[in-house]
Amino acid sequence: MNHARSPASLKFRMLAILIGMACTATYADDYGDVNQLLRAGKLPEAMSRADQYLATQPKDPQMRFMKGVIQRDSGKTTEAIATFTHLTEDYPELPEPYNNLAVLYASQSQFDKARAALEMAIRTNPSYSTAHENLGDIYAKLASQAYNKALQLDTSNAVVPIKLALIREIFGSANVKGSRPTPTTQQSVTAAAPAVKPPIVVVAPLAPPVAAPPKPVASSLAAPVVSAPASPPAPPVASKAPVEKATSPTTDVASSIHEKEVETAVGKWASAWSARDVKSYLAAYGKDFDPPGSVSRKTWEEERTQRIVSKASISVKVDKLVVNVVGNHAVAKFRQSYKAGGLAISSHKTLDFSKINDHWQIVKETVVN
Amino acid sequence: MVYGTCPHRAAQRIAFVLLLVLHTPSFANKRHNIHAVKPHSDLQAASEDRSAEASLLEVYASIAKGQSRAALEKADKIVQQHPNFQLAQLVYGDLLAARIRPLSTLGDVPTDIAKVGAETLGELREESQKRVSAAKDRPRPGLVPSQFLKISQKTRYAIAVDTSRSRLYLFENRAGGLTLVSDYYISVGKAGVSKSTQGDQRTPLGVYYVTSNLDPKSLKDFYGSGALPINYPNMLDTKRGKTGGGIWLHGTPPNQFSRPPLATDGCLVMANPDLRHIIQTIEVGNTPVVIAPQLQWVDPGKIKQESLPFEETLQAWANAKLEGNMDRLLSFYAPDFNAYGKTRDQWAVNLKAELSKVQGHGIEIKDKSFLRWTDSTDTMVVTFGEVVVGKRTGWTKRQYWNRQGGQWKIFFEGLL
Repeated sequence: MNHARSPASLKFRMLAILIGMACTATYADDYGDVNQLLRAGKLPEAMSRADQYLATQPKDPQMRFMKGVIQRDSGKTTEAIATFTHLTEDYPELPEPYNNLAVLYASQSQFDKARAALEMAIRTNPSYSTAHENLGDIYAKLASQAYNKALQLDTSNAVVPIKLALIREIFGSANVKGSRPTPTTQQSVTAAAPAVKPPIVVVAPLAPPVAAPPKPVASSLAAPVVSAPASPPAPPVASKAPVEKATSPTTDVASSIHEKEVETAVGKWASAWSARDVKSYLAAYGKDFDPPGSVSRKTWEEERTQRIVSKASISVKVDKLVVNVVGNHAVAKFRQSYKAGGLAISSHKTLDFSKINDHWQIVKETVVN
Repeated sequence: MVYGTCPHRAAQRIAFVLLLVLHTPSFANKRHNIHAVKPHSDLQAASEDRSAEASLLEVYASIAKGQSRAALEKADKIVQQHPNFQLAQLVYGDLLAARIRPLSTLGDVPTDIAKVGAETLGELREESQKRVSAAKDRPRPGLVPSQFLKISQKTRYAIAVDTSRSRLYLFENRAGGLTLVSDYYISVGKAGVSKSTQGDQRTPLGVYYVTSNLDPKSLKDFYGSGALPINYPNMLDTKRGKTGGGIWLHGTPPNQFSRPPLATDGCLVMANPDLRHIIQTIEVGNTPVVIAPQLQWVDPGKIKQESLPFEETLQAWANAKLEGNMDRLLSFYAPDFNAYGKTRDQWAVNLKAELSKVQGHGIEIKDKSFLRWTDSTDTMVVTFGEVVVGKRTGWTKRQYWNRQGGQWKIFFEGLL
C-alpha cells in the first residue's frame, strides 16, 4: 500500500474502497454470524466462530472487539479486559475498546481505572456520546465515593460496581463492516474504519446538497475514526450538513407549518423523557430509527428504559431549537440540558425526523460537539 | 464536548465558591509568600513528605486560576497518597462533581449525604478555612512571637501555637536569632482553649516545655506517630489552682490524616508526618512550647530592649546571691512563693545552705532564657545555668517570676 502516501488520493481512495468492499463482501458474513450467535446467547458457538476467524486474521480489530464482548458476556472479565487492552494498544485511536474497558473496570468497582479509560475514549473522539454518558456516571460515582470518605460515612455502598453502557461492535453502525487491518498502522486504521458505506462516499461529492440525504449511515455516534488521509470534499462526518443548507432559499408557508410540527414533536419527546414516560418516549422513535452503538432496537429500548426508570427524576430542556424541513425529512438541532440525580449534562443534539403516516418520527439521534 | 462544555465556567464557579467560603480573594497571587521563608522549603525537602497541605493549597490555586483539570489531577494525587485526608477527599469530590454539575459551595455534597454528614462537613470547611488563612496571612519574615523574650543559644528549637489560627510554628534558634522554619495545621480541644479543670476538653494556654517523647509503639493507634507530653499544669497553672494533666502533642489515628480545628480532649494534634518531623527535630526538655490564643509577632530587636529591665533584675538577684546578702536576696522572693510546697521561709533555709557552699567562690549565671506570658498577670519563666566559679558543672534552674506593683518577684524556683 505504498499509495497511502501518494497525493493522488482520489485514485487511492477508490482503490481503498474497492479493497474495502471486497473485504466487506468477504468478511461481512463472519461478523454477522458471530453477532447473531452472540445475540442469541450462543456464546461458545460465537466464540469458536470468532476464534476461527481470528486464526486467519489475528489482527482484525472488529472481530477482536467482538471476541472481547463475547468474553465479557461469558463472565470472563479478566480475558475481556486483556482483549480490550490489547486493542487499545494496537489501535489507540479507537474509542470503543476504551469504553468497554471502562465498563469492565466499573463492574469491578475500579472506578479510577474506568475514569482513565473513558477519558482516553473521549480524547480519542470528543463526540463519543456513550463514553461521555458513562464518564458522567463514573464522575458521579467517584464524587460520591470521595464525599463518603471525606465525611467518613459508611462506604460499603461505594464499592458496589456500576453498570455502564457497553459497546457491542466497533464503528457504531451495525451495517459497517470493518476490514482486515493492513500492515501499516496508519493504513490499517483507514481501511478498518470506513464509517460510511463505501458507495456513499463515492457518490457524496457528486450529489447536489439539496438531494434528500441518504439515510446517513455514518450515524455512528462513534463518529468516523479517521477520515481518509488527504481526502477530497465531503468527509463522511458531513452527513448532516446538506440538509441544513437546503431550506433557506425556499421558506414557504408549508415548510413553516412543518417546522412547527417538528418543534412540537421535539417538545413532546423532551417532555415524555422528563416525565419518565417511557412508552411515549420510545414512541417518538420511528420504526426506521437506527439505534446507536449497533444494538438491536429491542436492546436499545431495554437500555433506554433502564436508564430512564432508574432515575428518580429527569429534566430535559430544549434550547435554541432550529428546525430544517426538506420534504418528508426534517433535522432538528438544539441544545439539550439534561438533569437527573446529581448529573447535569448539557449537549448539542441533532434529531433527524421522517414524516411517516402523517407523524414526525425520530429516525436518528446524534450528539454533536 | 458534552460535559466538559464549560470546564472553565465550572472552574470559575468553584473558584468563586471557594473564594467565597475561604475569603481569599488574592490567594493565588500570594502563594509565593508561603515560600518566602527559605529555610522552610529546605527543611521540607529534607524531611519525609509533609507536603499534603502544600499540595492541597496548589489545588486551590489551580481552581482559582480556572484550571479545573489540573486541579482535579492534583487532588487525585493527594487522595491516592493520603486516602484518609478528608478535606482533600472533599475537594476531590467537588472537582469530580464539577464536571457534571455546577457547584454552589465547598463540599457541595448531595443533600442526602449532607444531612448525615452535616457536622463533619462543617468541620472540614472550618479546617479548610484555617489552612487557607494560615497560608494567606503569613507572619512577616524576621518577626517572632512576643513571648520569646530571650532564648538561650543552648535551646535549639522553639514552638509557638496560635490557637485562633489552628497553627503551630516551629523555630530554629540560629546565630542570628529565632527563625521560623516551618508551620503546621493543628487541632485543639473540643471546647476550645484556656484549660482550667480536669476533663474540660480545653487546651491550656501558657508557656510550656516538652517533657518527654513517648515511644509510639507503647501508644494506641489513636495517637498516631507519637506523643510529646508538655508540662501542664506548669507552676503558674498550679498557683492558679488549675487541674488536669496529660496534655500531649500527638498524631492522628489511622483513619484521619488530620482532625477538625476543635477536636481533642485538650491535647494538641497534628498530622502524623508533621509530628514525626517535630519529634525528629526538637530536643526533649529544652524546647519551649508557647500556646497562645493569638500570637503577637514582634521585632526581635524591640523585645531585646524590653527584656533589658528584667535582665537587670535577674542580675541584681544574682549579685545578692554572690555577695551572700541574705536579706537582699530574700527580697526577690514573693510572699506567696511556693516551690513544691515549700514556703518563702522554708525556702530561705535552702538558700542559706546554698550560700554557705558557694561562699567566696562566686557564681556565674549563663544560658539565660526568658519566656514572658502576659494575661491577667505578667509572668516570666526563666531558665538558666548556675555554675560556681571554678567548677566545671552546675545546675540548670528554672524560676517563675511575676510582676507585682512594678516589681518582679520570684514565686517558684527549682532545679531541672
